[in-house]
Amino acid sequence: MSEPAARYDAGTRVVRHRLADRLYHWLMAAAMLVLLGTGFLPILGLRFAWVDAHWIAGVILIALVLFHIFRALFVLRFADMWVGWREFWQSFAATTREVISGRSAGRRLGKYSVGQKMFHHAVAVVVLTACVTGVIMMVGVDSPFWERNPLFITEKTRGVVFLLHGLAGLCSITMIMVHVYFAIRPEKRYMTSSMIGGWISRSEYESHHDPKLWSVEK
Amino acid sequence: MEIFRYKSDAWGQRVLEGVSWDLLWFFVGAALLFIVLHAIYKRRLLKGSAENE
Repeated sequence: MSEPAARYDAGTRVVRHRLADRLYHWLMAAAMLVLLGTGFLPILGLRFAWVDAHWIAGVILIALVLFHIFRALFVLRFADMWVGWREFWQSFAATTREVISGRSAGRRLGKYSVGQKMFHHAVAVVVLTACVTGVIMMVGVDSPFWERNPLFITEKTRGVVFLLHGLAGLCSITMIMVHVYFAIRPEKRYMTSSMIGGWISRSEYESHHDPKLWSVEK
Repeated sequence: MEIFRYKSDAWGQRVLEGVSWDLLWFFVGAALLFIVLHAIYKRRLLKGSAENE
């Protein structure tokens, strides 16, 4: 069960993100914002009852991540998100040439650029770390799933778990800021629109993407 | 700037509590630095392309 190649819709549109993936993206964004708000605003001095909102948003995020892992394994095309060594070094070399010369190489992309794929993998590592450590931390608070057990892990292990969870939160701030920056850049706005409407125009596909790297059915 | 937070456990021993929240501004700063550098790189590319035309 694998997603077929993207297709032209009515001859003018190319489907980029299906509804399930768009809903996943925006619900994940909402969950992340609630998690960062409830996690960091109290540290910045804003006092409110944040624990329940934090773990509930965390449980929602875990459910969304499991849903996405299922789709990535069985529905979406793994190749679209895979970064090969050759592709990585070609992109690295082309970007280096652009930085040195100040001239655009006019590269056309697959469905995602190497940068987007690397960003996705970094987010995956950070979010999975936050989810796993979050579940371990949740054992220490009362929830509908279990009674609080503060002795579930030793004090030393708790320190490491809290360290990793905090680091994941801090990395998420950097990643979200960079992600929003790219989303509003003029040359990327057509991609951002596709995360709302699901499609890009045929001319956007032909001017930005290489059919050999991202094939679409006519 | 501290990297870790420590606390005393029930036996008075110093144990790791987590990452230091002082780092929050380092991570915000890293994002801002990346954004500024990338914007400069893109602006330079745009200028280079315009000069070529």
